Amino acid sequence: MWAQLATAAIGIWLMAAPAVLGYSGPAEDTAHVLGPIIATFALVAAWEATRGVRWVNVVAGGVLAVVSLALGYEARAAVNGVIAGVVVAGLSLVPHERRRRIGGGWGALFGSSDSSPRVAGRPARPR
Amino acid sequence: MRGHRFHADSPPGWDYNPSAWSQRLPIIALAVVGFVLAGYLALYQLGLFPTVFEPFFGDGSRIILNSWVSELLPISDAALGALGYLADGVSGAIGGRRRYATLPWMVVLFGVFVGPLGGVSVLLVILQPVLFDAWCTICLATALISVLMIGPAMDEVLASLQHVKNARARGESPWRAFFGLEPSAHRGLVPGEV
Repeated sequence: MWAQLATAAIGIWLMAAPAVLGYSGPAEDTAHVLGPIIATFALVAAWEATRGVRWVNVVAGGVLAVVSLALGYEARAAVNGVIAGVVVAGLSLVPHERRRRIGGGWGALFGSSDSSPRVAGRPARPR
Repeated sequence: MRGHRFHADSPPGWDYNPSAWSQRLPIIALAVVGFVLAGYLALYQLGLFPTVFEPFFGDGSRIILNSWVSELLPISDAALGALGYLADGVSGAIGGRRRYATLPWMVVLFGVFVGPLGGVSVLLVILQPVLFDAWCTICLATALISVLMIGPAMDEVLASLQHVKNARARGESPWRAFFGLEPSAHRGLVPGEV
């Protein structure tokens, strides 16, 4: 939860970063495209049943870091992009503790058997 | 949430009930706020107000709300958004506190309304600075609202899909389960199935 909220905050920061730090061109567009995407998937991943979409931000953060290094952005844009990208990817890798059971999750929709647990207190395993 | 464990209304294997009013009312409230804000923007686009509220970004809202993107469809983007929030609120409100099992089709429809609305909102947020170099405060607020609705809506969709899946696994018609009908008698008596 905290990792997802921190990731969302970084996504929103990316939307403001070009104006705050004063950079433009492709680096600005990169931040303006990836910022809302990162914030969105983080806010969706903050919820138990949709925690899995955090993996999208592992990719998005990685893309931001690599692109910021590879495309020759000016120094402050590159530094901002690499740091934000690495932190987003890292935070999105943080595994979450399952606090509430949700009947075997999305994995329970696949396979042929009844997903509802037969033994009380034992979570159904995703198949 | 400990107190909700094994609550009679919860889906099998769930610690809470995603169709409980305590789970759904906050989403419906967000939809109402989104409807009001998007409705205000749509009325501005229709010309009912000469100016639009914009506290931070100067001419931003005026540029965004009069852009060619906002006029791509027969109705303006804010009007479409207002209809989307209305659909979210109505489909989120219909049904009782076990509707994940009694009205799965309505829950899935609710998810179909909530998901794409959020997706389109985020796309529009990306287009604001990239195409027009401008920001629109109320547009950003409505986008945030639509994104905040996705996560809490999807757990109920999951519960409904599990309900349909479990009916099929028991040898019952998944379509009857999807539309909230009792399993038909002859299909419920498949040997070897419980």
